[in-house]
Amino acid sequence: MTSALRLGIDVGGTNTDAVLVDGRRVVAATKTSTTPDVTGGIVAAIADLGRVGDVDLSTVSAVMIGTTHFINALVEGTRLTPTAAIRFGLPATSALPPLADWPERLRSAIGGRGYLCHGGHEYDGSQVADFDERELRDVLDKALEAGARSFAVSSVFSPVNAEFELRAARIIAETAPGAPVSLSHDIGRMGLLGRENATVINAALRDLADRVTTGLSQSVSSAGITAPVFLSQNDGTLMDVDYARRYPVATFASGPTNSMRGAAFLSQQLDCAVVDVGGTTTDVGVLQSGFPREASADVAVAGVQTNFRMPDVLSLGIGGGSLVEGDPAAPRVGPHSVGHRLTEQAMVFGGDRLTATDLAVAAGLVDVGDRDRVAHLPPALVRAALDRIGERVGEVVDRMRISADPVPVVAVGGGSILVPDELVGASSVIRPENHAVANAIGAAIAEVGGEVDRVFSVSPGQRDTVLDEARQEAVDRATAAGARPGSVRVVDIEEVPLAYLPGNATRIRVKAVGELALTGPARAGHDHEHVPA
Amino acid sequence: MSHVHAAPLGLIAEEHVDALAAGATLLGSGGGGNVVLAEQLVRHAVRRRPVVVRRADALPPDAHVVHVGVVGAPDVLAERLIDPHDMAVAAHAVAEQAGRGLDAVGIIEIGGLNALAGVVAAAELDLPLVDGDLMGRAFPSINKTTIALAGGSAAPLSVVSPAGDTVVVTRSSAPLAERLLLTCAGAFGGAGALALYPTSAAWLAEVGIAGSLSACVALGAAFRSAPAGQVAGLAVRLGGTALFEGRVDEIRPRDGALPGSITVSDRAAGSAARVDHLDEFLAVTVDGITRACTPDVVVGIDPTSGGVLSVGQVRPGQMLSLVSLPALHRWPASAADVVGPRAFGLDLELEEVAR
Repeated sequence: MTSALRLGIDVGGTNTDAVLVDGRRVVAATKTSTTPDVTGGIVAAIADLGRVGDVDLSTVSAVMIGTTHFINALVEGTRLTPTAAIRFGLPATSALPPLADWPERLRSAIGGRGYLCHGGHEYDGSQVADFDERELRDVLDKALEAGARSFAVSSVFSPVNAEFELRAARIIAETAPGAPVSLSHDIGRMGLLGRENATVINAALRDLADRVTTGLSQSVSSAGITAPVFLSQNDGTLMDVDYARRYPVATFASGPTNSMRGAAFLSQQLDCAVVDVGGTTTDVGVLQSGFPREASADVAVAGVQTNFRMPDVLSLGIGGGSLVEGDPAAPRVGPHSVGHRLTEQAMVFGGDRLTATDLAVAAGLVDVGDRDRVAHLPPALVRAALDRIGERVGEVVDRMRISADPVPVVAVGGGSILVPDELVGASSVIRPENHAVANAIGAAIAEVGGEVDRVFSVSPGQRDTVLDEARQEAVDRATAAGARPGSVRVVDIEEVPLAYLPGNATRIRVKAVGELALTGPARAGHDHEHVPA
Repeated sequence: MSHVHAAPLGLIAEEHVDALAAGATLLGSGGGGNVVLAEQLVRHAVRRRPVVVRRADALPPDAHVVHVGVVGAPDVLAERLIDPHDMAVAAHAVAEQAGRGLDAVGIIEIGGLNALAGVVAAAELDLPLVDGDLMGRAFPSINKTTIALAGGSAAPLSVVSPAGDTVVVTRSSAPLAERLLLTCAGAFGGAGALALYPTSAAWLAEVGIAGSLSACVALGAAFRSAPAGQVAGLAVRLGGTALFEGRVDEIRPRDGALPGSITVSDRAAGSAARVDHLDEFLAVTVDGITRACTPDVVVGIDPTSGGVLSVGQVRPGQMLSLVSLPALHRWPASAADVVGPRAFGLDLELEEVAR
């Protein structure tokens, strides 16, 4: 019989958490500090887990990792690869060239240059203009001369027809062998600018993704684990490590998603608000039927508009590492934070910075570090600061809840002790066991997904047939991506008729998910064509 | 718009862009296309040089105004984008056909994408922009204008493709103008730049919706300054009415020209609302009583984020607040067949409309 033991790891900005989950049982959990090289923290966490859980790690059947490393690199504007953005769209689209709406700081951080070529398609699949190979080769010469080492290719209506992007990828592979190529039809949905921006972000993260995924695989195997390694994606489903190497941008929203899915698993609550208190921020989201509610509007990442579907999350600049500053009668908590230096700089750990964690220890809410080192804090200051935190968290929960009735609130994350027992708008505050490692648990229980997002022609009376076809396609893609047949179900379906177009063109999006088939070959990942890169 | 103070604008500068986009989104009544796309173009354009804004009655009476925008499928525009140059070509083609100069640019509809497209066109042509429009909101068809209702013609009109293909229609009846536009847009891959309704400033001052650009910016500014999550207060601030708030139970998509509907329920109050829609929200009926209907503007708001939702962004299970704004323009009774619910195939008991 195959082992069902799963190892979930969450690499946050402050802590690296690891859990072992067997079916519905949490076998072991541990929390260590994130190291600047990421891998050191993972090796330490896995070693610790082996000791705590007293298990043979070689029996682990799959390793799931969630990381905020890539989105952090983008926000910081560091470790990015010089990138050229090439768009096929002329004679259309020239008024807003690639990167036109990017913040200047980020554009220069990726050495970003945008180029326009003739081509692309119309919604019905006909060409905007012929492919001009010479034009592309000229663009490539200029881009390489300007120092580009990674290429982002977009094309008008590539979700309908990806021919231009695929041809460009082949020519780039000839001209600049080994240079990573990111194609927009693999990455985003309809809407050129948002899809193209996501593709450029992906391209700029490719070198970092090479190093990080290699490091992740090595840290896992050096711990004696031979099981396949997966990374969690924005929607809470899994991709294999090779896919993650090519699509790092797909990890961007995995942090909040994992934390919410983990909270649902631990608290057995399928409809609730989740408050996740980390080292620097508090994220508040809402679960509906066990899945995070998605934001209606497009999401900007580091000031760049993308068309990712992200979980609807409101963030507050308050966490366990937040600095307490200002007037002792009306103290401010956050947004400045000691981050991953909490265990050096917080007072209870021998430092000299007053943090939210010190407040919690002084108030007797939690016993970490040396409580004597905060005994001198005036009780009025401690109370005022903690009340302020409770008020601000309450305000956000109140805004997020989805009905007039109070909702259950599940508090998770290392700093969740800062959430008071009574909150505005909450019917109860639940603190599940193992709440401090909810992210890692969310990663460990993640499933495999398949998605269809295309324009279909719906003849009168054929709506149900077309929807069934799209459903089946999504289910097939989930199965092909590694889901266990029979466990796959459709979790989201959406149909939008395209206005003002002949032929009843309708955009249909279907998402299906299923359990990871642990006995089969490890090939979970995505459902798109593979990129020649 | 008694609660929104619309100081007349003399310019559209960079400081007005956010409010302009927010106001145009509200007046889109859940449709009117992707404002964000045109917002970027406006920002680029006015950063170079602000656009001069004049009321029609402040222009020389014989000044020649051409109304400029885009026509077609929002999804196509989201892929092919909008080119200011194409709009300039269309405007020149109309002026040339009319045998007159080109003295100012008019906005076709103040709701949605075309409100901003007009600003972009004026910037591209380096001409004054008229503080006004022809619809007072967004409508899905080019006949639903004050000029058409006053007996004016949309022609000469022009549609231009991204490749520069230019169609000029010299004469057209109102119903046929709409079909010609859609046919041209279809041939151009689903969208094109558009210029039409050429008119003298004097006549426009009589039949246009004066001051609606200033009203749009004021509305957007009021919306942006309102605290998020307090829809009732927001409605008051906008001079409108909070109609209903509840959870979306069911979304029935439109079937061609037949409106679809969204069912929203408030279980605690045992109350339910039906929202009829095509490209825009058309009417809100609460427990059998129609509380708002076209040409009123119906705004759908996500009470969580405080953001304005388009018809296509509404999802099952989410909370939805509905607010009506009074029409910017007092349409005569004779307009009912053009802009009223019947024009959209809605059979509402109008005597039950509670305003």
